Amino acid sequence: MEFDRELIVRAQQGDRSAHEAIVNQYSTMVFRLISRFFRSREDVEDIAQDVFLKLFDRIDQVRPDENFPGWLARVTVNTCYDELRKTRRRKEAMETYGPEMAASQTVNPPEPDFLGKARIALQRLDPKLRIPLVLKEVEEMSVEEIAKTMGLTQTNVKVRLFRARKKLQSMLGDRGE
Amino acid sequence: MNPLNEFFKRERKRIFEPDAFFTQRVMARIEAGVANKHASRLRDLDFWEVIPSFARPVLALALMLILCFVIVDLFVPQLPQRGMVESFLAPEQSPSESFLYTDSDVASQDVLQQLIAPEED
Repeated sequence: MEFDRELIVRAQQGDRSAHEAIVNQYSTMVFRLISRFFRSREDVEDIAQDVFLKLFDRIDQVRPDENFPGWLARVTVNTCYDELRKTRRRKEAMETYGPEMAASQTVNPPEPDFLGKARIALQRLDPKLRIPLVLKEVEEMSVEEIAKTMGLTQTNVKVRLFRARKKLQSMLGDRGE
Repeated sequence: MNPLNEFFKRERKRIFEPDAFFTQRVMARIEAGVANKHASRLRDLDFWEVIPSFARPVLALALMLILCFVIVDLFVPQLPQRGMVESFLAPEQSPSESFLYTDSDVASQDVLQQLIAPEED
């Protein structure tokens, strides 16, 4: 995606119209990335707003000659990672401290089909494994792009991808092979 | 076809788009955040940040002078106008006694009269 370096400089100087232009230009990309990890529109919208707030809070750190969309993707993925970890902790706490309540609310849920099971299995994956897997398989990023976006080495990304696939397959049984 | 690949293919199609007012909502939050940050920064300002930079040296000098004056006043003893014995005895001395013990000048006529009068009795 082409980006306007002048726009970044103006945003760094506190130009409100530049901020607005950046939100207009990049909100679709941010929404698309967040949609990969969250299924509710409200969650996606809230996180997207947080991403832009973080962006303008740290706009001074952006170098105009840097790949701005890549930097923004990194902020977005990091925000998603934090949110996924929070959600995971909340779920674990619910399962630990409120099993009776959780059981009473789920009265014989229908058995999900394979796609439903895959979705649940993916949601249960540790965000450390889930994010690179989704970026690779759904967002179709290369290992190099994932490494840059997540701030990891390429080897580390490959290891995580391998573990994520293995774990997903073990959760789904043989059908995931 | 691998079912997992099918699942990922479907996931690719599941995308949310920002609505027409998304930018306005973000800008409103940014402005609210800026206002809050400004307010909290004002709250957190210390004494020197409140004072304009050009007035700081003058105020600093004035404060230093006041501090020096207070220190001098506290630690350097004032020179007494009279000695301790003098100030202790002062209320009990009559003008005639004062003339006898301390004054070196010639006494006034009244004082001399007072000194002489008891001897005449």
